[in-house]
Amino acid sequence: MPIGRLVRAGLVGGIGVIFVSLVGLMARISEINLIGTQVTGAYAFLALVPFAAAYISVRPRVVAGRLEELTAGRSVSFGAVTGLAAGGLVAASLLFTSWYGVERIREVFIEVTQELIDVLSFGQSAIVGASILVLGGLLLGAAGGGFRTLAPEARKVLATAISATLLMGLLQRIIPIAMLQLGLDPDWMYDPISSGLTWVGAAVTFFVALGAAWLWARRGRAARETLRTMTREQPGTRVVVGLVMIAILATIPWLVGSVISEVLGAVMVFMLLGLGLNIVVGYAGLLDLGYVAFFGFGAYATALLTGATLNTTTGSAAPALSLHLNFYVALPIVVLLAAGVGLLIGAPVLRLRGDYLAIVTLGLGEIVSILIGSNWLKPLVGGPQGMRNITDASIAGFSFRDPQHFYYLSLAFVLLAAFVSLRLSGSRIGRAWNAMREDEQVADAMGISTTRYKLLAFAIGGAVGSLGGALLAVRIGSLTPASFVILVSITALAVVILGGMGSIPGVIVGALVLIGLPGLLREFEEYRLLIYGAALISIMILRPQGLIPNVRRSRELHEEDRSQDKWAGDLAADEDTAASLSPLGEGSG
Amino acid sequence: MPVVRMSAFERFPWRRVILVSLSIFIGIFVVYGSWKTLTLPEGERYSGAAWLDFVILGIAQGAILALIALGYTLVYGILRMINFAHGEIFMVGAFASYFFADAYLKSGYLNRHPVSALGILFLTAITTSVAVALLLERVAYRPLRNSPRLVPLITAIGASLFLQSAVRGFFGTATRGYPKPDVLTGTWTIFGIEIARIEVLVFVVSVAAMIVLQLFVSRTKTGKSMRAVAEDSEIASLMGIDVDRVVVTTFAIGGALAGIAGVLFALSFEQVNFYMGFRPGIAAFTAAVLGGIGSIGGAALGGFALGLLQSVGPALLLTGIGVPSPFQLKDVVTFAVLVLVLIFRPGGLLGSGGAEKV
Amino acid sequence: MAPLLEIVGVQKQFGGLSALAGLDLHVDEGEIVSVIGPNGAGKSTLFNVITGLYAPDGGDVIFRGESIVGLRPHLVAKLGIARTFQNVHLFPNMTVLENAMVGQHCRSKSGVVGSVLRLPSTRREEERIRVRATEALNFFGSRLSGYRQEQPAFSLSYANRRRLEMARAMATDPSLLLLDEPTAGMNPRETLELRDHIVRMRDELGLTVLVIEHDMRVVKGVSDRVIACDYGQKIGEGSYDEVAHNDRVIEAYLGTKAVG
Repeated sequence: MPIGRLVRAGLVGGIGVIFVSLVGLMARISEINLIGTQVTGAYAFLALVPFAAAYISVRPRVVAGRLEELTAGRSVSFGAVTGLAAGGLVAASLLFTSWYGVERIREVFIEVTQELIDVLSFGQSAIVGASILVLGGLLLGAAGGGFRTLAPEARKVLATAISATLLMGLLQRIIPIAMLQLGLDPDWMYDPISSGLTWVGAAVTFFVALGAAWLWARRGRAARETLRTMTREQPGTRVVVGLVMIAILATIPWLVGSVISEVLGAVMVFMLLGLGLNIVVGYAGLLDLGYVAFFGFGAYATALLTGATLNTTTGSAAPALSLHLNFYVALPIVVLLAAGVGLLIGAPVLRLRGDYLAIVTLGLGEIVSILIGSNWLKPLVGGPQGMRNITDASIAGFSFRDPQHFYYLSLAFVLLAAFVSLRLSGSRIGRAWNAMREDEQVADAMGISTTRYKLLAFAIGGAVGSLGGALLAVRIGSLTPASFVILVSITALAVVILGGMGSIPGVIVGALVLIGLPGLLREFEEYRLLIYGAALISIMILRPQGLIPNVRRSRELHEEDRSQDKWAGDLAADEDTAASLSPLGEGSG
Repeated sequence: MPVVRMSAFERFPWRRVILVSLSIFIGIFVVYGSWKTLTLPEGERYSGAAWLDFVILGIAQGAILALIALGYTLVYGILRMINFAHGEIFMVGAFASYFFADAYLKSGYLNRHPVSALGILFLTAITTSVAVALLLERVAYRPLRNSPRLVPLITAIGASLFLQSAVRGFFGTATRGYPKPDVLTGTWTIFGIEIARIEVLVFVVSVAAMIVLQLFVSRTKTGKSMRAVAEDSEIASLMGIDVDRVVVTTFAIGGALAGIAGVLFALSFEQVNFYMGFRPGIAAFTAAVLGGIGSIGGAALGGFALGLLQSVGPALLLTGIGVPSPFQLKDVVTFAVLVLVLIFRPGGLLGSGGAEKV
Repeated sequence: MAPLLEIVGVQKQFGGLSALAGLDLHVDEGEIVSVIGPNGAGKSTLFNVITGLYAPDGGDVIFRGESIVGLRPHLVAKLGIARTFQNVHLFPNMTVLENAMVGQHCRSKSGVVGSVLRLPSTRREEERIRVRATEALNFFGSRLSGYRQEQPAFSLSYANRRRLEMARAMATDPSLLLLDEPTAGMNPRETLELRDHIVRMRDELGLTVLVIEHDMRVVKGVSDRVIACDYGQKIGEGSYDEVAHNDRVIEAYLGTKAVG
């Protein structure tokens, strides 16, 4: 028994739990009731750790050139060892903390509170709690090992069902509201007092998901193929699918209520930023860490052009430059100017490669941030106090300050940006960007002016980013420099990277995950950066192409298999063609 | 085949024209700004003593920047990557030493035995910084050794975020006051100039560290291995050098220097918080680039140069032309320097001066 | 008539190493000229200087009577000089067809507006680009046509990659084609086939070709003129037979007499 390796895996899991506790996340997620009042986020996490650690530590490994799988017995026992190590470490730290004194530790690690200890000891004394941790670790580890022995299909189905149940628990702020809107009674599914799923609701979700996953495993591939062929061969299908999607998108704000619509608004803004940055980073391959510059420019330019005022300690004051244009007249001007700013930012970095480019754009972004909040530019943009009285861009009485209306405005922009991105990526310009990204020198030698296309990427990316800023200005009605810090650039970058560089669906998913989830679960709000950092590191190590890699590429690779067969079939049928092939034959093809 | 002729637009040497105009503009700006500042009326002008203070402060801060910059330049030399999280390594060292410093202050040990207390502070900072640096290398960077350049960079950004947030989570957002031993308060008079004692310590410790580093790299076997790997890691490994070991050593040294810088910084500014690594980190990187990345002497030179630019620059260039609160824009100066260096002389002051294209 | 390309006294140093030390050569329109010489003779550097990747330290490069020294590579390509590389440099994740279409980039001009709105003029241009690219690919017969065109470039066999690189260069509608060791790494059958292709380039497409080659069967089979280089200078020029029997050339190759 490779004790060393197993124990190490368990210890890593245990360290993870300790880390999450010290950082304060454990306490927060213990306040989320997932199922009933028993399965809190914390307990779900505590259960998941030994399980996952064991599952990973018993994975098939290459031994002497062969992939070796463990027997069922070994899987279970090895898994148990890992789980034991994980549980043991946490138990040990629990015991140590109670012995040493919670208050003394709290002097350094401020999140180590009695509440945390209570959570970790399951409401019991430290010793009992520690025993539960150890025992639980052992059992869950064994379960994790056992899980590995199931058939891959079964594993996938079960995992989907469990994840779906947990996800439904996490979505406790949306689903009940949506159900109410649709006239359904949510109380059987979500406990109105504890907010989480009821046990009945959880069971129903689990089995429904189980069934759906099982069906998908059997029939899913075929269904997808039929849909794909239908979309390609019958144009009517595409229209129907499009309409269905639009209908869904349009009714979302109504479905989820005002509070969630606010979160949705933030998601939309970052989706827009992500789409813009996707052009710079994903298409042109230029790592821009100063994207906040465009965001800030868009916001403040919109404010200045639509007659906003400076926020002063005594009320309002007029900015040094002020026009009173209608929002929709000012917008194209802002976008064009932002494109110009893009050229300004792009020009110095043309000759720089990856790392340097990133740092310099970071610096340029920081310069903009600093200037926005500086006393020097205070007469123009209000310094630390910022600006207010920004137009609400209302059309026919629809004010876009209202979160639900704002959603539609931002959706329109997102669709526009997505459309432009899509068209560009499939065009000659997209080809030039691809070539430049793959091999800059060779692209240059092939007639592509890298200067021009880099600048173009910055200009367009900047224009889209400024749209995001304009939206923000309208939504909030006031601006402070605190909203325009490097965090924005990094968040936008995380959205693009996590979703998949160069992938529009990826940006959408990235925004939903990185902005939507923390927005839905206030408990995570403080830990956003921690999660972003961990997400970036994990994605780069595990799946650098992102969650939804560039669809075009993978589609082409699948397309090739079928078209090759078709070609070969045609060829065999046509003897004349076969005869006219190059006299030296296909050998080296 | 079409016969194509060049249009005048395309033949025009745009790049050269823009660069030349830019340099002229900057030259005029520097000269004009300085002149206006130096010719301010009597009451508004900076006195000679004030300028001297700026210069000394610049040198002291530059020394700290140099120590951090060395970490960047060493890692860059070996791995050709920018350790974006290096600023956070600096921060954790400072933060870790804070807890001891605070305890020592409360118990009085800090002032009874300042030398050994300081020694322990440095030791704590060095240990923590090195530990974090090695952890980072092992977990986040080593798996990506052969990935396209973008990937480790993004990982480094993620690591930077992660470390910042972790410290924030562990210890809270409040800025902690970092104690200063009484023996370091006040000034010493050296060569007739009054210099803050802490500034003297900063300078002495930094220079000592740099000298030790230089000796280590040029005289010891490990140092030689480091230089070999920096030149060509593949051939170095063929010559029997354990590249992984060298990388680990490099990160450790960079971490140690960052830890020392952390304590010095905390003593100078008498505070620590989770965010303190970000701006100095970028400034230190700028310093490394300014001096010539990959070169130890360059990092040192760049550090001092940038320190001076940061402290003297805003005062000299901006006060005269009426920019309110010029020191708010200290970092604008830093970034402007970074951008300009990379445009005009990407190899840095000590570099070849040529456009290091691709 | 003035030569299409004239290299006058070109010099290029890297550190202390002199890659080109005063090289003179010229290429007339419609010729196929081979450049031979031992490794390190500066041949690839010559190509890099011609196409603008490096700026020479001295001398001039004159194309169609105008000096092109100092022009960026993409402008050189636009003027009508295309090249392949010694180590194949395709765009690995783009399809074969896309690689070839990149070649047509400098012969097209659709901008952002046209691309986003898919104006009729843009669509026509895209079609034209596609047609030209396919033509360039079909030059090599069935090897790069049909279903192959949708495959990513990294999946091609070695020989096909070389052919694709040539097709891509040809897709730029060049006047002058620079081929850098096009048959390196190919087996004898492929080599002979490529030799015929090069001749066809001149005969069917009217291209002028400057080839760096080591394989003397190819050099003999395609060249109107052969130029031998060593240490960055010309050491012999003339027909294949003349150069093959030139003493200095033989010496440079350390006694490797040309295979008859």
